[in-house]
Amino acid sequence: MLFSLIESLLEWLRSLFFKQEMELTLVGLQNSGKTTLVNVIATGAFSEDMIPTVGFNMRKVTKGKVTIKLWDLGGQPRFRSMWERYCRGVNAIVYVVDAADADNVPVARGELHDLLAKPALASIPLLVLGNKNDLPGALSADELIEQLALRDVSGREVCCYSISAKNHVNIDLTIEWLIKYSRAAR
Amino acid sequence: MQGGQALPPVEAQQSDWQTQGSQWLSGVKDAAMSTLATGGGGGKKDEDEVYSPFLGLEKSQVLQECRVFNDPQLNPRLCAQLITKILYMLGQGEQLSRSESTSIFFGVTKLFQAKDDHLRRMIYLVMKELNPSAEEVIIVTATLTKDMNSKQDLYRANAIRVLCKIISMTDPTMLGQIERHLKQALVDKNAFVAASALVSSIQLIRVNAEVVKRWVNEVQTALQSDNQTVQYHALALLHMIKKQDRLAVNKIVSSLTRTPIKSPLAQCLLIRFVKKVMDEEGGGGERDRTLLEFLEGTLRHKSDVVIYEGANALCGLPNVSQRELSPAITVLQLFLCSNKPTLRFAAARTLNRIAMLHPAAVTPCNMDLEGLINDANRSIATLAITTLLKTGSEAGVERLMKQITTFMSEIADEFKVIVVDAIRSMCIKFPQKHRLLMTFLSNMLREEGGFTYKKAIVDTILELIAQIPDAKEAGLMNLCEFIEDCEFTPLSTAILAVLGTEGPATAEPSSYIRFIYNRVVLENATVRASAVSALAKFGVQLPQLRSSIVTLLLRCLHDNDDEVRDRATLYCSMLQKMEVSPDDVFGIGPAQLCLQPLPVPLLALEHAVAQYLAQPSDEPFSVFNVTMSAEMLAAERKAAHEQSAARRKAENHDGGSRHQMMPGTPGKAAAKAVDASVDYLAKIPQFAHVGPRFSSSKPAALTDPETEYSCACIKHVYARHTILAFELRNTIDDQYLQDVRVALDLAGTAGLEVEVELPCPALPFGVAGQAFILLRRTEAAPTGSLGCTLRFRVREAHAETHEPLDSSAGYEDEYALEELELAAADYMKRLMVADFRAGWEGMGNGGEVIETFSLTYSGLPEAIRAIVDFLGMEVCEGTGTPQDGARTHTVLLSGAFLSGAQVLAIVNLRTESAKQVGMRLSVRSADKEISQFVASCVA
Repeated sequence: MLFSLIESLLEWLRSLFFKQEMELTLVGLQNSGKTTLVNVIATGAFSEDMIPTVGFNMRKVTKGKVTIKLWDLGGQPRFRSMWERYCRGVNAIVYVVDAADADNVPVARGELHDLLAKPALASIPLLVLGNKNDLPGALSADELIEQLALRDVSGREVCCYSISAKNHVNIDLTIEWLIKYSRAAR
Repeated sequence: MQGGQALPPVEAQQSDWQTQGSQWLSGVKDAAMSTLATGGGGGKKDEDEVYSPFLGLEKSQVLQECRVFNDPQLNPRLCAQLITKILYMLGQGEQLSRSESTSIFFGVTKLFQAKDDHLRRMIYLVMKELNPSAEEVIIVTATLTKDMNSKQDLYRANAIRVLCKIISMTDPTMLGQIERHLKQALVDKNAFVAASALVSSIQLIRVNAEVVKRWVNEVQTALQSDNQTVQYHALALLHMIKKQDRLAVNKIVSSLTRTPIKSPLAQCLLIRFVKKVMDEEGGGGERDRTLLEFLEGTLRHKSDVVIYEGANALCGLPNVSQRELSPAITVLQLFLCSNKPTLRFAAARTLNRIAMLHPAAVTPCNMDLEGLINDANRSIATLAITTLLKTGSEAGVERLMKQITTFMSEIADEFKVIVVDAIRSMCIKFPQKHRLLMTFLSNMLREEGGFTYKKAIVDTILELIAQIPDAKEAGLMNLCEFIEDCEFTPLSTAILAVLGTEGPATAEPSSYIRFIYNRVVLENATVRASAVSALAKFGVQLPQLRSSIVTLLLRCLHDNDDEVRDRATLYCSMLQKMEVSPDDVFGIGPAQLCLQPLPVPLLALEHAVAQYLAQPSDEPFSVFNVTMSAEMLAAERKAAHEQSAARRKAENHDGGSRHQMMPGTPGKAAAKAVDASVDYLAKIPQFAHVGPRFSSSKPAALTDPETEYSCACIKHVYARHTILAFELRNTIDDQYLQDVRVALDLAGTAGLEVEVELPCPALPFGVAGQAFILLRRTEAAPTGSLGCTLRFRVREAHAETHEPLDSSAGYEDEYALEELELAAADYMKRLMVADFRAGWEGMGNGGEVIETFSLTYSGLPEAIRAIVDFLGMEVCEGTGTPQDGARTHTVLLSGAFLSGAQVLAIVNLRTESAKQVGMRLSVRSADKEISQFVASCVA
């Protein structure tokens, strides 16, 4: 009896705490800067040379009262089929695009729309980030919306920012959106 | 392991290590389950009743429950329990479909977010068990690499195991990326981490040996670890790394024998390596004193496992002597009285194995073995009885046989075979008992049993028939009854073949005909065909039965099987022709065709017949025109080689007990092994004219065992020729040798000419090759030492494929070999005589030569061994071993000299001082000159 009482007490405490928690999945083509972005969000440190993520990285980040679980998935073609499994049931999908690599934007668009077409992921909010806007020739947010055909996406919240993980441009905006979203979702 | 249970032989070790991972896993599973059983079910009150909490687990339900893996708020305790359920299901042999295991796998990967240690451990376990496909499993690579560098030992060790498993399953080249981490882990302070890295490396060496071999230094350091498990795994890995390089293995072994290892299991491994090194050094040369002392030292170890392993190794040494055996026998004797069944079993099994070769050594244990006859464990009892059968006296046979009859039905086939083996050897030892034993065998034959068991019995009866003339009729009759109701085709055909050859010579051959003809009526085609052949053999040999056999064979002409019809047709026409006039078929007489093996291999005959049919000529086909092509010869040689290698292996395995029926004939088994490889010699066209072989020597090494090239020579002696067969081996992995030949210096020895020389065309690394020299003897029996040099062309070879590099033209080189001794013993053949005294008296003293010598040996046994070797003669009447502590001894020797003349010798020995043995040698033969030659070869 005592045991189950403690158990339920713990459960209640936990639920209090977890109200402040959200879960995100970062996807996008390889070399778009997902792991770098996670590092910047988590520690604020930017590192130039990163090795490609083989598989996934799991990070927990606490911002204010919110704990964010980040699933940072590898972007190489062999991992793309597995994105969906880690997107199910998350609070938001963050799709990172290398805005300076115009050649690969069509590929990114294809992968994004394939992913969103999955029934299991219906109505999960989407945040598209055009990373590397510090580089010359990077696409702006509007251009990205155009080229990724984000206006065609329906049935979910969609937002697009142009950011630079290197120079911390719009990172705070991103986090704000995410935290706001976690409140709205609950 | 503590119980000293019999460890599997060295070959099995590899898989032993392989299973270790899963053993460890099941241990953890058990632990997890017991925590769940005791602490998990909070509401359970009745503690007495122990049952599995997973009883009646439904797969579909478990799969449903797997949803909790995806809960946003993880419950680690629940997840860990669920993984335990999955592991339990898998352990029970439940099969998961591809999609099921994929979905579980991805579910489990989500649990990496939890920080719970217990859950994390279960994640690692289930990852290895789920066997995810290569494409999926890479998803956890990054996470595992992170864990491998974690500060937590638990994470590090487990991550290493999982990651290495993934690498060996998917992409061995990935090893390079984590090599640095693994190298560090090998020498980690934490034993769990180090052991994990070592075990993983053992797995990896199979898929990527190149990389693992670079870690030798780290493994050496791990070997010095204080932790026993680490030491054990490190030794295993080190041996695997150095396995190819005999010199390095010897170095490890000799250095480790000096510094004691703490772990008993590592010690056991080391004993096996020592044993292997000693085996490879072979029986020819001196034994390595330090290694032998090391083995004897292990008998005083604290741990039973080590003691047993040491004793077992000593008992299995090639050509082990009584003195070397006795300490091992003493500890085994102690084990026989142990209260642990495993120890008793192991000791009895080892004693049983050596009882055949060294009955005298085992005799002291007889009292203890008697005590085990009624052991509750039937396997121990069987081993005890069969050991007693081998060592005991004639009087005890009846009692023991009665004992064993009482529980024959209770023991497994495997042990029944042991019993049959014991009976076989006993029959040879006590031929008078054959009636009792034959009855026993025929009773066993009637009972239920598998093929190996029945085959062992049939083989035994066949051997008895061959060895003991009195037992022949009874044995044949038993076999006849057996084939009336025999479900094993190979046994039926073997028995029919024997009936065909042995039956006609018995007192009443016609009584067998019915049994054989019954087979033609009742059996399958294979048996019918051999029955037809058996009938024909009766017909060929017995004119009075010929017409009735023809009648029987005529009925077979309408058989619905081709082979049976063909045979019947052939034999019918042959027998009918014999009635009229004895005529030849294919140039061979009917009797020879039926009763003897064909003079040419079947393959060659088939080829020749096909050619003849393609181009028919007026001349009739004859077997004597069949020739063998070069590739057929090569195939034959390979087959003979494999056969003799397999036999040698089998002999090492069971201590040679099968082939060495008589104590004191150690040369017999070796001679048999040589036989198979020699048969092809006669088929090499260049050697066709030398005639039948007289004798073959044991291989004599012309190099030290651990040199760049190894060469051993076997001398085959023929009437007027000697063939030297050189076994060559190249142990340098970046060399490819061509045209390898041995150059002989004949200047010092008169009476020898090189007639034909066949060099070995190519000798790649690690592959055995052969070169031959045919010597013609112009004098009767030249003796002396021949200088030998190995000459060859060296080409550089690829280090891995060992194929020669095209860029390397090569250069001529030579390599000095030791001298080859041509001794008098080479011209002598071991030959058993039935009654030595009668033979000696019958020979008379006309050709007798008596000489006395004073020899420098420290003991009688040593002197006897040396003299028998010098003379190359057979020891008669078991006079090869002196009584313990005796100062005088007489050895009776017999042999056949090159000309075929029988030679007998009496050797009287007397210990004169600690270093001197006096010897009086009397040699008798028909020709005084031969006696003189024989006597002079001791000097």
